[in-house]
Amino acid sequence: MKRIATTPRPDWRAHVERDLGFAFHTIDGAPYWDETACYEFTAAEVDALEDATGELEQMCLALVERAVKSGGETYTRLRIPEIAWPAIEGSWNHAHKNLYGRFDLRYDGASPPKLYEYNADTPTALFEASVVQWDWLEAMWPERDQFNSIHERLIEAWKFFELGRTRLYFAAVKGHAEDAGTVDYLRDTAMQAGLETARIDMEDIGWDGSRFLDLDSRPIEALFKLYPWEWILAEEFGAHLLSGAARVIEPAWKMVLSNKASLALLWEMAPGHPNLLPAALDPAALGGAAVRKPIFGREGANVAVLDASRITAETGGAYGAEGFVYQAHAPLPSFDGNFPVIGSWVVASAPAGMGIREDSTAITRDTSRFVPHYFV
Amino acid sequence: MRKSKTVRLVLLGGTSLALGACDDTPPSDAKFFANLQECTAHYSEDKCQTMIKKADEEHVANAPKYSRKEECEAEFGIGHCETRGEGSGSFFMPMMMGYMLGNMMGGGWYGPVYRGRDNAAFTTTAGGSTYNVGSFNGSGRGAAFSSSGAITQVARGGFGASSRSYSSSSGS
Repeated sequence: MKRIATTPRPDWRAHVERDLGFAFHTIDGAPYWDETACYEFTAAEVDALEDATGELEQMCLALVERAVKSGGETYTRLRIPEIAWPAIEGSWNHAHKNLYGRFDLRYDGASPPKLYEYNADTPTALFEASVVQWDWLEAMWPERDQFNSIHERLIEAWKFFELGRTRLYFAAVKGHAEDAGTVDYLRDTAMQAGLETARIDMEDIGWDGSRFLDLDSRPIEALFKLYPWEWILAEEFGAHLLSGAARVIEPAWKMVLSNKASLALLWEMAPGHPNLLPAALDPAALGGAAVRKPIFGREGANVAVLDASRITAETGGAYGAEGFVYQAHAPLPSFDGNFPVIGSWVVASAPAGMGIREDSTAITRDTSRFVPHYFV
Repeated sequence: MRKSKTVRLVLLGGTSLALGACDDTPPSDAKFFANLQECTAHYSEDKCQTMIKKADEEHVANAPKYSRKEECEAEFGIGHCETRGEGSGSFFMPMMMGYMLGNMMGGGWYGPVYRGRDNAAFTTTAGGSTYNVGSFNGSGRGAAFSSSGAITQVARGGFGASSRSYSSSSGS
């Protein structure tokens, strides 16, 4: 694993906007898509990442099975409110399929990949990984390979949702370019799989007392929502979604995994696993330096690094009301002062590829840059 | 190779597909109008004329046609059919009682309304679906329509509050 400086394609901005519809390559004036550098891997390194990803996904599915079997006690530890329990169990017992997820891994090319966290419900940085870095490699070195069959796997995965002619609505919040880009891309892959699709903003979803409706008052029977389940639970229409008024992707059972308390439960289930970091709900259970993460945090908000209970680094934000999980501190490796985190994708629970986000600090935030990769 | 062989985009990027097939589910704001006059009391004359013309065309093109009055009445009820055409080309069709019109501020939705057995009011759509929308009281074309009330008012904004309070992306 090496970080390699590269010369950006001279016309890349115009190209990605025009030909790929990539609208959020620059966020708040700062570069997000960054092709001034890339990472080079060996095939053996990619094997290690792929194997770890597959194994982590299987462990996560086993954890959901255990949670559903043990019921209330586990949900309570995961801070999942009781209103959601029947939907979790219903969706799991009816084997409602999941589309995708992203494992954020620590990897340095030498020691085994370690799980920082699993974005199981609303992962983004998908289009960049699936399309933009693929397109970059085709332009730069088409003969080289990349750990990235995300696009093909997404199109394939849609075929197994058995939606028939039921129109699938893709929903994101209003006014957020990155979220819109993610659902528009997923919709693109669904269309290629032959699904009937439509797009709606979460705020525009209507409810007539028995059905969800779109802005033309057509019923919404199937919904892909890039909107966290734990937010849905707290909102006015949340109960209707839990009651099964529409088929939802990701399914409700993903609540068990989209929740950082699951990191502690994974460690309890498989203590010492080479791809896990020690994690606990009680900081006293971990010796040494730890990272404190809000159970329902996103985008690196409210994360703190603790050394013997003393905070040595911290990010701001509005999360943490539901409590925290503590994870052994495993600092990101540094490559020339850059700190990459591997986003390793699963599609339909199978390893599908990776995207790398790089920051100049040791806590990856929503301001980090996306850097492409290849392997030789 | 472990990269995608090809990456084609149909919605994003350069080329777009024509989207989806026509959907004919009645919008929940669909209401019954006996004639153009009732429609123009709510909506513009232009829009009413356009949608009523489409519904009339739909009726002529797709309503069931019977060579004998009895066949039609067996299906739709006594007195609910009318003759069309002349001489040997004449046939019987269910009597059109009015129009279901909806989404009139948007693209518009229409369906001809018929009276069936037991005075049930129903509409048929271009896609061939049938929806019960209410019932008729009284005889003939002037019978009063009463809605089944199945189409209710729609609430919106029941999702999105958390996103505003965290002022954050929903993604992670």
